[in-house]
Amino acid sequence: MTITATRGTRVDVPAALRKKRRRHRLVVLAFLAPWIAGFLMFFGYPFVATVYYSFTRYDLFTPPEFVGLLNYEFMVKDDPTVRIAVRNTLWLVALMVPAKILFALGLAQILTRLKSGVGFWRSVFYLPALAPPVAATIAFVFLFNPEYGVANAVLGVFGVDGPGWFTDPDWSKPSLTLLALWGAGDVMIILLAALLDVPRDLYDAADVDGAGPTQKFRFVTLPTISPVLGFAAITGVIQTLQYFTQAAVASGVASNRASTGKGGSDVLGFPEQSTLTYPLWLYVRGFGQNYLGYASALAMALLVVAFALTVLMLWRAPALMGGEGENS
Amino acid sequence: MTATAVKAPTSARVRSSRNARRESFLFWVARYSLLIALGVMFLGPLLFVFLTSVMSGQQALTTDYWPKSWNWDNYAKVFTEAPMVRHLGNTMLYAGLATVFMLISSIGPAYAFSRLRWRGRNKVFVLVLVTMMLPPQVTVVPMYILWTDWGLTGSLWPLIIPNLFGDAFSIFLLRQFLLTIPKEYTDAAKVDGCNEFQVLWKVILPMARPAIAATAMFMFFYAWNDYFGPLLYTSEERDNWPLSLALASFRGQYQVDWNITMAATLLVMMPVMVVFFFAQKAFVEGVTLTGVKG
Amino acid sequence: MRRTSRPASTIAVIAALALGATACTADTGDKSDIGKGGVTEPTTIEFWHFFADREAETIAAVVKDFEKKNPKITVNVKSGQDDEKMKQAISAGQAVDVGLSYSTDIVGTYCSKKAWRDLGPYIERDEVNLDDFPEVVRGYTAYKGTQCSMPMLADVYGLYYNKDLLKAGGYTEPPKTMSELAEMGDKLTKLDAKGNIVQAGFVPLMPFYENVASHLGPAFGAKWFDESGKPLIGTDPAWAEMLKWQKALLDKHGVDKWKKFYAGAGEEFSANNAFQTGKVAMNIDGEYRGAFIKADAPKLNYGTALMPVADSKSDLYGSGYVTGNIMGIGRGSKSPEAAWQLIKYLSTDTDAIVKLADGLRNIPTTKAALEKSSLKDDELFKPFIEIFNNPKSSSIPATPNGAAPQNTFATFIDSWQTGKVPNLETGLKGVDTQIEKDLKLAGA
Repeated sequence: MTITATRGTRVDVPAALRKKRRRHRLVVLAFLAPWIAGFLMFFGYPFVATVYYSFTRYDLFTPPEFVGLLNYEFMVKDDPTVRIAVRNTLWLVALMVPAKILFALGLAQILTRLKSGVGFWRSVFYLPALAPPVAATIAFVFLFNPEYGVANAVLGVFGVDGPGWFTDPDWSKPSLTLLALWGAGDVMIILLAALLDVPRDLYDAADVDGAGPTQKFRFVTLPTISPVLGFAAITGVIQTLQYFTQAAVASGVASNRASTGKGGSDVLGFPEQSTLTYPLWLYVRGFGQNYLGYASALAMALLVVAFALTVLMLWRAPALMGGEGENS
Repeated sequence: MTATAVKAPTSARVRSSRNARRESFLFWVARYSLLIALGVMFLGPLLFVFLTSVMSGQQALTTDYWPKSWNWDNYAKVFTEAPMVRHLGNTMLYAGLATVFMLISSIGPAYAFSRLRWRGRNKVFVLVLVTMMLPPQVTVVPMYILWTDWGLTGSLWPLIIPNLFGDAFSIFLLRQFLLTIPKEYTDAAKVDGCNEFQVLWKVILPMARPAIAATAMFMFFYAWNDYFGPLLYTSEERDNWPLSLALASFRGQYQVDWNITMAATLLVMMPVMVVFFFAQKAFVEGVTLTGVKG
Repeated sequence: MRRTSRPASTIAVIAALALGATACTADTGDKSDIGKGGVTEPTTIEFWHFFADREAETIAAVVKDFEKKNPKITVNVKSGQDDEKMKQAISAGQAVDVGLSYSTDIVGTYCSKKAWRDLGPYIERDEVNLDDFPEVVRGYTAYKGTQCSMPMLADVYGLYYNKDLLKAGGYTEPPKTMSELAEMGDKLTKLDAKGNIVQAGFVPLMPFYENVASHLGPAFGAKWFDESGKPLIGTDPAWAEMLKWQKALLDKHGVDKWKKFYAGAGEEFSANNAFQTGKVAMNIDGEYRGAFIKADAPKLNYGTALMPVADSKSDLYGSGYVTGNIMGIGRGSKSPEAAWQLIKYLSTDTDAIVKLADGLRNIPTTKAALEKSSLKDDELFKPFIEIFNNPKSSSIPATPNGAAPQNTFATFIDSWQTGKVPNLETGLKGVDTQIEKDLKLAGA
């Protein structure tokens, strides 16, 4: 509450009030201090530095060498693998994320209809989501091994010749999707809570109007849970843009080849680069082949996409900003 | 309806209720077979991992479901094939310290973003959200270079130390929860003469226990499951590998021993699942806290 | 309203940080002052290599001999370290005193970026005679005049064949030309009722175990680069010849069947290696395979032969692909003198080389060692020695971006195998273009 004088200069504010406000600001700073330091050191500086490095050639052995737009040119024109990596990541974003959310929604719906044993089944569906990703991936790769895995054995009982799953370039991403569905429990929990939060009277009103189950779902359930669905969708997309662990471990284990003397990033993307996601390729180029400048350029491209999504999310979901929106 | 029903032939009513019962029976069968199928889908893999883990090496390479021999010593072999106890220790050190550091450094900022009023608060909070949502790849290259210069690569410290300076996701979670605490409590405390630190310590923290627990749980398991970070910083120093790296590289030098690998996989899955059984409520609440309040 | 205006100082801080972060390059070793030689203080050095199990034991034994002869030096062996891990460690400034690499791919990178020190001064001071090594070996331990590594044993690739399977197919002699190899390979391939390959005469798939372009190329006389460093994949007709030969054999059953066979074949270095279990009749492999067969499949009735060559290049018969392990001193090493002593021992001491060669079943790199080694009398080892000594044998030229050209070519070959290449000649020229672009990114 400033008392503004005619010329915009601040006069007549009691000294005590000014002192109190300054103290308040110091208190705020004190609370924020660790975060501010962290933000500058671990985000602000590296962010600027990535931009800088993207214009250099740097391998940690010799000092960085300015190369102008060489990295960007290479990325756009001369690196065929970038296109493959982008395509793989987009595939996962477009197919794996909706599949997981829809499956989780289905599971949650089933749980809402159960009359008894909800807690039990909820635990059953949620348990695999707790498995550490490395462990879950290794288990899946083994179980879906075309030669001696259980999946093809079961299919064989029905006379179906199972595909190569993680060893077949056409099936490797669907196999990763199956892995994601197995772990859909964490999304399911959120959607379950949202479904249970839908006010009963809305359903009762719909009943009175003579709505069938599908109509109830379309016109009552979906609109009410759409914020949560949106949240799940956007976080799912953002996570999938960073999809690394499962793809890396799956290709390493499925290739079934001892790490050659050359190094682990040899087999990433197996089979035939079908699981080579964008973050994986960035890792290979930057830390496998030591093109740190080029990796920075790749990171910048990823940033543009993620930033666009972030802006979208912040614009569309003011709910994230929390209960009160007042500034002091 | 009542008038006409009095004299309605019993057979029709019985027939319609029998139809209704058959219909609901069919639904019941349908729903339960769906449940059973889902149960198999979710628990089956864990079961087969277990069954394979006690098979002999040769049998693991066949499509047999049931072990011919119960080689419980495979679990012991896990520890001789790789120093898993050491790797477990590394994981616990990483997860434990990261969580403790996070709590120390993130509660304050969360408090500032939720219960203190200051100009630009929401705008600065956007920065927190931004750091949360942008991919780590954007900062990983210079960070790696920095840690190299500070001589800390080859260890888990580059992953632990940043938590002393706040973790965006934790700040976000805690803030969301702290916003829901009614102002009356803090007002009362301030009337009693508490300054902000005392308000936080005496009033807010005890009330925020579930949120703190949930946030700590998320951080702990994030670190426990982290693969990319350790891959980047500890690859060349096998002694410092956490479980995630150790498991991913778990193989004989020349081949994979699937039975022992499955045993190792199960062992790595166990701790989280065991904790879950004992703390189910906290788990579910914690996960819900993110999604629904968000 | 005050507006804090700090952009200038912020930029300065960030700039300072950025520059400061990059100014820390490790000491690359002062060439002029390497001392008089010999270690006077007790020193511990770290020796990084990739071997494991049986092979690691052989190396450990030889290291023990070295420690006996040099009581002031203790060697800390770290096994299981591949090239990538070594590179990460060296670039992070960690003390990798002696690094041993599985292959020669890194020599271009390490020499040009000074990740490994220049050994020239040490070689000169201690009067090490590099002529003891054949020219091809000298070629893959140096890059553009900088000798940053020394060889530890050598590897040579030839033909292994299963005598029983050949006999069952009516053959008594292994093939000498590529067309003979294709013909015999085809005849000896057997399918099961479903049409899947259960026994392979010769696996034309690339890659399959050691079936890679760098190993097959010399059999056709194909060259990777010319003297100026320009890639020749698109212009040397031998490469097209190799690919056409390979695809003809591959297409007899289709690439999918061969990939399925590979997926079911055991891992290369495990006891289930497909050649060792009798699933493959003829296989290209290194001279070290004999040691694995002895350990895992001693009853296997096998023979070894010189690498078959292209029909039009019969003068190449007796030559082949040579490579080897190389060792260097990491640039962050605090004890380069001790590191050099170990390297010198492993690469030039006759007894050391003999023990390593006999234990690992690799080619002894010096003539003196070959004379003393028991391998020279081993019939199954003789073809490999012959290839090693043949002046026409070659290795793959060093590049500043390591194995990138090989990887680019391998990606192309996979498209070729799966029928995705409409025009071979254009495709090969595209490989050259890509290799040149990759070299540009690396700053060649």
